Amino acid sequence: MPGDINMWVMVLGDMIIFAGYFVIFMIYRSMNRQEFLLAQQHLNIAIGVTNTVILLTSSWVVALAVQAVRAGEFEKSTRLVLAGGAGGIAFMVLKGYEWASKIAAGHTNSEMFYSFYYVITGVHLLHVLIGLIVLGVVVRELRNPAKRRPAMVETGATYWHMVDLLWVIIFALFYVMR
Amino acid sequence: MSVITPEQVSPTATDGGKRDVWWMTWFFPAWYAVFGVIICLLTRVTPPPRPDVTAAGKVEFFAQHHLTIQIGFTLLLILLGGAAMTNGLVAYQMKRMSVGSAFAYGYLGGMSVGAIPGFLLVTVCFLTAAFRPDRNPELTSLLYDLGMLSYNGSLGCFSVAYLVLAIAILYDRNEIFPKWFAYISIWQIVTEVIATQMFVFDSGPFAWNGSISFWLAVVVFSVWLGALIVLLRRAAAAESADAPALD
Repeated sequence: MPGDINMWVMVLGDMIIFAGYFVIFMIYRSMNRQEFLLAQQHLNIAIGVTNTVILLTSSWVVALAVQAVRAGEFEKSTRLVLAGGAGGIAFMVLKGYEWASKIAAGHTNSEMFYSFYYVITGVHLLHVLIGLIVLGVVVRELRNPAKRRPAMVETGATYWHMVDLLWVIIFALFYVMR
Repeated sequence: MSVITPEQVSPTATDGGKRDVWWMTWFFPAWYAVFGVIICLLTRVTPPPRPDVTAAGKVEFFAQHHLTIQIGFTLLLILLGGAAMTNGLVAYQMKRMSVGSAFAYGYLGGMSVGAIPGFLLVTVCFLTAAFRPDRNPELTSLLYDLGMLSYNGSLGCFSVAYLVLAIAILYDRNEIFPKWFAYISIWQIVTEVIATQMFVFDSGPFAWNGSISFWLAVVVFSVWLGALIVLLRRAAAAESADAPALD
């Protein structure tokens, strides 16, 4: 199994917790279908799609980084991880812009749909931020000849893929599902 | 060794470990069991009573649980030092980590300060409400809200403690606690941040009794606490009685 067991405990447990949030969201959605559908109209699906493409690309790039480190190509792996991190930063910037424009338009957590939206995308954003720290640790250790090894990049990649997977589900539930 | 990958499983010492650590390690779950009985069965603050009731409803809550609130919270007033003792044990194990003592003191400070909003305020508010049942209902309502908001919403002290615990575990080369416990501690921080929503909602999933602010958070907390109890036992068992005393 790639990466280390501690990160898998983290990833699987985290996904279970998010699954709880998603189930609760779905329950409230089923109880307030009209309200949620109307509120959803104001989400900017273009930004949602862009963010999804950004994270999927960044995950792909990080997967390439894992392949590179396994082939002993440490500099290439480092560059790829940095590129993946750049995707994460782009995601955060877009998300911040999106929130700002929603709040300016008056969609605050006084609307139930948006209270879910801000909390769940907010927790996800925190995971992206932590992911940037994780990727930073991976880069630092790749640059250190004494510490560079595949298991560590795999561990960071495991976390980053989870962040991506969570976003795909969030995108589906909030932006797409009718 | 990397911050995010482990190296070995902690060994078990053969001599039964240090006596004082052993006692405190058993005290930890014993205290939390009593605390659980107090908050769940006696005083009824966990699960919390509803925020979306009128003042009359809150007066009714205090009338209904008058006796057990008084018994439970006066008992807690006597026993609450036990919380500090449990924090001290965790701090002791953190001091055994290779990262040095500063994080241990951070944890101890954060958790100890957290006890004041964490349960002392609800204890005093609810005992005050129960003290004069014929008080103006609006004042009783205030005591109810104050107690519940501080008890469920007292977040920052604990969040910081969990953060230094997580950082200490991730950097610790002595493997006192496994790395996955650092991640569970970070989950705790996230649930605390989400719980801030309870200050703006009196119903729904984000209210202090809501499915997200309370129920999901209490499940995560139970996992954290259960893991901590098991890991404290493991850490105590791995320390030889002959190990040199800490500074």
